[in-house]
Amino acid sequence: MLIRIHGGRVVDPTAGRDAVGEVWIENGRVVAVSDRAPDRTIDATGCVVMAGGVEVHSHIAGGNVVMSRLLLPELYASEAAPEGHPFAHAGGSAAWIGANYARMGYTLAVEPAMPPANALATQLELADIPLLDRGALTVMGNDDHLLQLLRAREGKAAVRDLVALSVATSRGLGVKCINAGGASAFKDGMLKLSLDDEIPVYGLSTRKIMGALLDAVEEIGVPHPLHVHCNNLGIPGADESFVDTLEAAEGRRIHFAHAQFYGYGVADPENPLTGGFRSAAERITEAMEAHPNATYDVGQVAFGQTVTISLDILRQFAGRKGANPKKWILTAGDAEGGGVVPFLYKPRGPVSSLQWAIGLELMLLSKEPERTILTTDHPNGGPFTDYPRIIHFLMDKEERDREIAGLHKVIAERSGLCAIEREYSFSEIAQLTRSGPAKLLGLADRGHLREGARADVAVYRDDPDRTAMFARAKLVLKDGETIVEDGEVVAWRSGRTLELAVESDKAMVARSETYLQDRFGTGLKSFAVPDEAFPKPDVFAEVACRT
Amino acid sequence: MAAWVKGGATDADAAVEAAATLLASAQNAVLAGLCAELSAVRAAYHLADAIGASVDPVAGPSLYAELGPLSRTGAMTTTPAEAVGRADAVLIVGNVPWDRPIVQDIAGAQATRGRAAGSERVILSLGGPRNGATRHVAYPAEAGGLAVSIAHLRAFLKGNLGGEAAYADLARRLSTAQYGVVLYDPAETGELGVEMLQGMIKDLNEVTRFFGLPLSDPFQGRALLQLAAWTTGQAPRVGFGRHVPEHDPWRFDSARQIAAGEADAALWLASLPAPRPDWLGTLPSVAIVGVGSPEAGGDVADVVFAVGVPGETAGGSLWDERRAAITYAPASGPTAELSAAGILTAIQDRIQQRLGQKKGAAC
Repeated sequence: MLIRIHGGRVVDPTAGRDAVGEVWIENGRVVAVSDRAPDRTIDATGCVVMAGGVEVHSHIAGGNVVMSRLLLPELYASEAAPEGHPFAHAGGSAAWIGANYARMGYTLAVEPAMPPANALATQLELADIPLLDRGALTVMGNDDHLLQLLRAREGKAAVRDLVALSVATSRGLGVKCINAGGASAFKDGMLKLSLDDEIPVYGLSTRKIMGALLDAVEEIGVPHPLHVHCNNLGIPGADESFVDTLEAAEGRRIHFAHAQFYGYGVADPENPLTGGFRSAAERITEAMEAHPNATYDVGQVAFGQTVTISLDILRQFAGRKGANPKKWILTAGDAEGGGVVPFLYKPRGPVSSLQWAIGLELMLLSKEPERTILTTDHPNGGPFTDYPRIIHFLMDKEERDREIAGLHKVIAERSGLCAIEREYSFSEIAQLTRSGPAKLLGLADRGHLREGARADVAVYRDDPDRTAMFARAKLVLKDGETIVEDGEVVAWRSGRTLELAVESDKAMVARSETYLQDRFGTGLKSFAVPDEAFPKPDVFAEVACRT
Repeated sequence: MAAWVKGGATDADAAVEAAATLLASAQNAVLAGLCAELSAVRAAYHLADAIGASVDPVAGPSLYAELGPLSRTGAMTTTPAEAVGRADAVLIVGNVPWDRPIVQDIAGAQATRGRAAGSERVILSLGGPRNGATRHVAYPAEAGGLAVSIAHLRAFLKGNLGGEAAYADLARRLSTAQYGVVLYDPAETGELGVEMLQGMIKDLNEVTRFFGLPLSDPFQGRALLQLAAWTTGQAPRVGFGRHVPEHDPWRFDSARQIAAGEADAALWLASLPAPRPDWLGTLPSVAIVGVGSPEAGGDVADVVFAVGVPGETAGGSLWDERRAAITYAPASGPTAELSAAGILTAIQDRIQQRLGQKKGAAC
């Protein structure tokens, strides 16, 4: 089918497009403007046309997401839905996640924390998210097998082979490390870990583990750089950890998860632990400008009740004191495990207000939105459904000021947000939510509307109320098929789960088999994610390694 | 033979038709058991939504002994492999754990990872059977039962009780562990006991590392719990009477609903072995059971399907107790003619075809 979208303002920063124009689609791909008669014409007059949104960091599947639903079942409301997908209105369910991303014009979402030990359950859950393409990052950095290799000073090849095998077995799209060595240190009694602190038993440090993983990711040719959750998340002085980690990458590609939670400079150097924090957004921005090898996603805070989910069990254990309501889960898993801690971001609270301000400040200071990805670290900073509101704040200084007027005065005292006049353009929003994350994931056919792109397209009514505009897309096409009209899902389809096409070294397969048999009494097959496990065929689609 | 209707052998298509008729005519059906591979459980939830039924797994009592405390206070837990590889002290609560292989795994090994590696592992028993085969230090339960015993032990740990009582000695042993584990059966320990136990574990973590290791139920409860949560956003016992999953563990207890006369039809799903409920056959029923099981015959329900047994005559994703994870079990031999998921989906399709025809006729 040949589709012509015309009359709309086409925004594609990768092609320098920001003007009324046309987008043509055929067989699920964007094609050149044609002189043939289209089979379908879409009038986008008064609308903004963008590529489908791309999510790089949202906790949408896995054991800890499941536990969060059981710990705080009242977090999401369910609504009766006599028609359509049976579970799309079941608050917090996989179908609800797919439907709500699609309504906002998103067409791909990545779960950033898939432990290899729980890969099958995570992948089964991801596959039940309708409408979107999905992916998951394989988490390494606290698993005993890797730490043993590093302790024994085995060469880079062994680490590379173990990482490749772990990604292949779990069918991940990339690699993430979460407070590398932190979970292991926590199990051995430590409550704080910095970049060069020694990890008990192994004699390693976060720097050594992360460095080995950075090398492995490059050697394998993983398109997405190593996705790093640093030490010391959320504490005054976390900016030090961020900058130290940035420098420790030594020019290698690196992506930082939820930078806002590291944008906390010590407010009182004489009392670093008790004096609170102030915005370190300027410092982080300067550091990022000096390190073009790095990207980050923001982890913007949204006010209200949420539940934090992280495999950083060392941090989550410390965070238990702030649980609201006062209940929490911590699992010491086979590598990381996970911590689930409810949290209330209070709009008039000084801490929450400052966190909110720092996230916006980071985005508004950034000269390169493509390296500054919009996330809320769902649900840690707040739900992904707050993206339209956040976009509104970025695009509208008056709206921002109105919000600030109702928040705590600490924003003016300890952040630079109030003085920032900048308003994001549509092109910059597209960089923040489309082209930037797609490039970051190494997906050359997404995040833009150039010829050959996957026909994932979002059409929004150009409404000065940007919250309303981006909350309910007028039209969303996935692979050229209409899935959303006027903010409602009109066709339910299954997307694909993206997996990295990576080969495993036979010698490492044999070594891992021996290791796993010894430790678990069962081998690699027990960790596998076979096609037969899924209720429908063709769940996965391969993404090639960099050459 | 793989399908029966009213005691007579028939083909699967006729049985699907009969099952669809039976369920479609019900006002309030229950889908119970769900001791099956995940694809079948998934299909059961979709069928329940389509016909407005409620869902209740046979693993419910064990699951809900933990889910209540979990949603009230949370938990600190670890995995079997971490317990075997890291623990220097293991407290076994009650009698049930002693019959499970994990006790032998723990008793037969020393810690090999973490700061307790190489140290002697101490096995402690609270209210256990004094099993002489495994070397351990036994502390009897108090007259009030396990929950009260755990409460008193916690009081000693917190310093709210003192003296030289046996529990004071046990408390000392627990608080000096480097990586301690409490092994317990949620159903035996009970909701109050689990809540108190998890509170004690959290207290212990103010001074050391200590984690709970609840035994898995034998009926796939841990696997279906995950699927239920990602499918409905809720724990397993839900009803779809209002076309939205409503969680209510009391109301949607299948045995209670049937005993109270609230349910007028039932579907029993057990492609893996599970105790047959007393009520099966006392109301219009469909049974989907494993090939070769005692229930695989024409007399247990109005409509019976004998389907592949996951890991034997069918592949399927199942809970692996040793791994504490969902893993895929391929068929170990020739596959059965029918699969549980296939039958459930066929029944749903048949019912929805009828609904579509009705809607069409109304137009």
